[in-house]
Amino acid sequence: MTPLLFGPPSRQLFGMLHPARGGDQAGRAVLMCPPFGQEAIRSHRLFSVLADQLARSGISVLRLDYHGTGDSPGDDADGEFDGWRRDVCTAHEELRRRTGAARIVWFGARLGASLAVLAARSGRCDPARLVLWDPIVSGRDYLQSLRKRHVEAMERSFCIPDPAWRKQLATNPHAFTDELLGFAVSPTLLLQLRNLDADALALTALHDTIVLADDDDAKVRHWRDLQTARAMALKHSSFRHSLQWTSEPQPDATLVPADALQRLTTCLT
Amino acid sequence: MNGIQEIPLAFGPDRSLLGVLSTPARGESTPIACLMLNAGATHRVGPGRIHVKLARQLAERGVSSLRMDLSGFGDSGVAQGAEHARVQAVRDLQAAMDQVESMLGIRRFVVIGLRSGAANALALAVADSRVVALSMFDGFAFPSRRSLWERRARQVLAAVGNPGLVGKTARWLSPKAGTPSAQSAQSAHSDDCVSSDADRALFRRSMLQLSEREIAVMLTYSGSAHVVDHDRDQLGALAHEPFMRNIDYRFLPDVGGNLTSIASQQSFMAAVTDWVLRVASQRAPAASEPLPRRLVPVERVMLRTA
Repeated sequence: MTPLLFGPPSRQLFGMLHPARGGDQAGRAVLMCPPFGQEAIRSHRLFSVLADQLARSGISVLRLDYHGTGDSPGDDADGEFDGWRRDVCTAHEELRRRTGAARIVWFGARLGASLAVLAARSGRCDPARLVLWDPIVSGRDYLQSLRKRHVEAMERSFCIPDPAWRKQLATNPHAFTDELLGFAVSPTLLLQLRNLDADALALTALHDTIVLADDDDAKVRHWRDLQTARAMALKHSSFRHSLQWTSEPQPDATLVPADALQRLTTCLT
Repeated sequence: MNGIQEIPLAFGPDRSLLGVLSTPARGESTPIACLMLNAGATHRVGPGRIHVKLARQLAERGVSSLRMDLSGFGDSGVAQGAEHARVQAVRDLQAAMDQVESMLGIRRFVVIGLRSGAANALALAVADSRVVALSMFDGFAFPSRRSLWERRARQVLAAVGNPGLVGKTARWLSPKAGTPSAQSAQSAHSDDCVSSDADRALFRRSMLQLSEREIAVMLTYSGSAHVVDHDRDQLGALAHEPFMRNIDYRFLPDVGGNLTSIASQQSFMAAVTDWVLRVASQRAPAASEPLPRRLVPVERVMLRTA
């Protein structure tokens, strides 16, 4: 794999290119859109191993860090949807330039899946397919869940946690919204998260879409039904896995869950 | 990122190690560079991206650094040999120092290890004379029984009306908690914050050796270890050993052990940056030693990684 910086000088992005080795899938490539914040940290090794497996089967892969995330330039608080959507398209063009792939599949997880949908709608790039893993289709629910996990992490972080944290979480909807699990959140991003819902994530007719999610996820089911009613080419694939998105990565078998790796490899090859 | 240059690198014997080099873009660079390695299984950016933030803060003040993934973590490949993980970690870190030396001409290093990464950082400092300073955050801890009891007593007193303490209290009230076997299985940043007896012996030998070499050492402990610190409590009986006299010991009760809050991250970075700058000014190379080279052009580096 090759680490690289790409994109315009004013907005360079960090990426990992996994060039195809062997196999017979010339002309195909995968762009990986990672989740946000701690979820990106948790799934980083899984994405790295998955990309390597795809490369071995002949599919080139580019993984990117959005501006202000991972190793890309920028601060946490610079992150917001419009810039990140453009980053996805910049990465798409870079992948095409480096591999010549005619057919590029976008694989997005969690908020990365939502960003993939938003970026595909921009008309600036032409993914052949979106593969969306546990997409965030309700920004409000997502925010609430991250706030809760943030307070739990803070409590684990101190031998005597401050009891006021839980009270603030329960009574003040603005508490713990400017930073989540170690990452600063700008007012712009906060507003965009609050406005993210099924209506904001309308698919376009120019690509097909596969959704990997738990059948019990009612919000994803609702969003899926909306897209199907609009006659979008969407296929749902039931996927229950052992990865806990906001947990801390541990140096054991849970780091790269075998069930998730196998299923994703199958889905993307 | 005004004034900073960052270069992604593939390096090591088979170029299977991944890292990002941060340097001041202009002006003089200090003759000392920092190495940042994985904390647990978190990849090179560190918990809450702390290594990225720290690297950029250091580069703004003239200090270069390499944050990297050890073999089998992050984006680095799995080691081909059958070395013990600690031995492999030291080899990987030595490859990182070789890389920095080849690009910047720097031959003195500060190694920064967070939590379980502290053990690898310590091993490198013992094994390689290029390391002139070592910083460990919530690494080895040997609090006395008295300190542990004080901690638990404070937790009991605070438990009423504090749901965040319920889980912790249940864990240490369990019949297995507090037994030697339970303690030895725990890492220094777990609930009980106690390293094993074997770790204590290793730590003592290592610190003695580092003292002989006059390596600067900073040990930082967070609010996950305790709420108070009377006198280097996390070192227990080792606190007053002669070879520990020059250790820079910091207890930061407002800093959370997993650096979840931005305030915690800022306090941690301020402490480390301050200390690194002090070390850099005190450990300047002798006049006869060549100055660090300027960074090789990015184009050449990119060719190397392509």
